[in-house]
Order: sequence, then structure tokens, then C-alpha cells
Amino acid sequence: MTRPDHDTYREWLNLEVDGCLPAARHAELDRHLASCADCRTEREELLAFEGLLQKNRIPVRADFKDTVLSSLPVAGWENRHPKTWGFPAAVVLLFAGIAAALFGSSRLEGAGGGASALLALADMLGSTVQAGAGLLAATWKGLGLAFAEVIASPVSLGAVAILVISLNLLLLSLLRRRRAAPDGVVRGRR
Amino acid sequence: MPRAYGTMTQGGGQPTDEELVAAVLGGDRERFGDLVDRYQGRLVNYLFRLLRNVDDAHDLAQEVLVKVYQVLDRYDPQYKFSTWLFRVAQNAAIDQIRRRRLKLVSLRQDDDEGEGRDWDLPSPERGPYGELRNRERADAIQQAIDSLPWEYRELILLRHQGDLPYEEIAQIKQMPLGTVKNKLFRGRQMLKEKLQDFLSD
Repeated sequence: MTRPDHDTYREWLNLEVDGCLPAARHAELDRHLASCADCRTEREELLAFEGLLQKNRIPVRADFKDTVLSSLPVAGWENRHPKTWGFPAAVVLLFAGIAAALFGSSRLEGAGGGASALLALADMLGSTVQAGAGLLAATWKGLGLAFAEVIASPVSLGAVAILVISLNLLLLSLLRRRRAAPDGVVRGRR
Repeated sequence: MPRAYGTMTQGGGQPTDEELVAAVLGGDRERFGDLVDRYQGRLVNYLFRLLRNVDDAHDLAQEVLVKVYQVLDRYDPQYKFSTWLFRVAQNAAIDQIRRRRLKLVSLRQDDDEGEGRDWDLPSPERGPYGELRNRERADAIQQAIDSLPWEYRELILLRHQGDLPYEEIAQIKQMPLGTVKNKLFRGRQMLKEKLQDFLSD
């Protein structure tokens, strides 16, 4: 077997300093080092260089970790986590159970408990939709009456116009202030 | 004594990075603190050598960790967490350097980065001479790193400040493993020559 050339030993020295030299080559490198002063010097310099960089690392601020942890927002994936949905799902199930207990027994008496609960839930949802539709219609009617009142008098029309313009100006000034503020995920500590 | 890679310190019952990520995604938010513990030193020092400013390095390291947390569900466990983290950090640092240069151009400043030396390294040597020597050494290291061509500087910093193994550096830089090794050895040789006066300290 031919012996590696000098450059190969230099490469092995780099690998050794990085902790990547295969164990099988350590013995061969050691044998070479025993007879090569240049490579011994190279090895010492590489180790000294590595030590120099390690010694000159800056310390991390003591509050770094706490600052990071307190800066963590609620991430999008956390909202999708089953834990986040556990409570609302439990509430829905609870309501379903209550609805089944209250209304389920009168209809589909022959059916099983599960079908009875589903029917009760459907009844409850239907009632809610009906109530919502009624409320919406009433709201539109009320708005129509209020609008008719406003346009009937020039004074009330003027007052509403001033209110709308003021709200728009306020919104614009808020947007401008927000745009002027520096952006960034984390507030810097200087 | 040659040292082992920093990323291989997870033996002895310590959970791996990937296990910690899985725990965080499973709802254990506090485990993210373990990842911060594990990487804060390497991340801050890596960014410090790129940005040359202690405050900026800390702020950007925080920003990177927060950013990584926000998209943790997109982490692909077939890669090392450290590879992903340092890739995000490197992109953030490059963005910051670009922004800084744009700002400098607009301000027409002559100084390369517009910032003087603003850090003090821990002082292993006491006394006036020791302090002076520390300062000289710290400046020399930074100047030597800054003088490296960018392609070498990135690799040297990922290896010596990020403590990343060759394979991960190759993944981050999307380079063949052999190229990474060659560039690292050559970059190291260049640095070693520039820092010759301090190697015997």
C-alpha cells in the first residue's frame, strides 16, 4: 500500500482538529507526526487557532433566553393545535348533551340516544337560524327608519356628515402614525 | 485535544433537537427554551462575526429564534434543526447587511460598515498589558475574518462559530461536501497566517 503524500496528511490534520478523522487513520497520522516536524508544527498551530477562536467568543446576555421566550407570539400553528380546539369542542358537546336531554326524549322515542341527540341539535340550530334571520330583518327595518329620519332634516344630515368625516380623519392619522413607527419582530434593547 | 462537533452533544439522555421541536409542536411551549439554551451562544457569536456589533447580533438572534418559532410547523425533520436555524440566521444577516449598506450609501458615509469597534471580549488576561493584548487580539481576529473572501468567511463562521459539521454546512450552502472541506481548509489556512502573532498566546 502506498503512503499518503504530505498534503493528504495536512488534510487529515484539519479533519482531526474538527473531530472528523476516521479512527482507522489516527494511528497512521500519529506515525507520520512522529517523524515529521512540519506536520507537528502545523497540528499545534491548528489547535492554537481553534483555541484562539473559542477563547474570543462573546458572552450571551444573561436575559437573552427570557427575552426570547417573552417575545414569542402565538404562532399560527398553535391556533390549529388540538389543544386550542379542545375547550370549544367540549363546550359544543356539552350543549349537545344538554339539548338532547331537554328535547330529545319527546321525538323519535324509538330511536337510539345518538339519533335523538342529533335531532335535538338540528332543532336547536334551526331555531337559532330563525331567530337570527328575524333579528337581521328587524335591524334592517330599524336602519331604514333611522336613515329616513336623518335625510328628513338638513341639521341631522350635516351632523352625520361631520361625524363621518371626523372618523375618517382619525383613521388616517392612526394609519400614518403606524407607518412611521419602526418595524421588526422583536423590540431591540439598546 | 481536538474537539467533537457541537451538534453531537445530545447524548446521555438529552432529547435531540428534533424531539424538542416535536414537544413544542405538541403544545409544550416551554421546551423551546431548551432549544434557545442549546443554540444561543453559537447563534449570537455567528451573527456577531457577520454584523460586527454586539447589540445587532443579540437583536437579530432573538428575531431569528422568534421567526423560527412562528413557522416551526414547517420544519422538516429529515434535516437537522441546526441546519434550518443557521440557514434562517444567515439569510437574516445578509438582509441586515444589505439594509445597512443601503443606509450607508444614502448617508454617504466613508467607513465600510459605518461602525467602530463596540465590543469587549471576556478578558482572560488581567492588567494593563493583558487588556491591551486582549483588545489587539480581538481586533486582529475580526480584521482577519473580515479580510476573508465572503465564500470562505461564511464557511469558516458556520464551522467555527456555529460549530456545524461539514455535512450541515454543505446543506446550508448547497455545495458538495468536498468543496466545503477544501474551502474550509483554505480559509483556515488564510486565517492562521494572518493570526500567526497570536497563536502562541
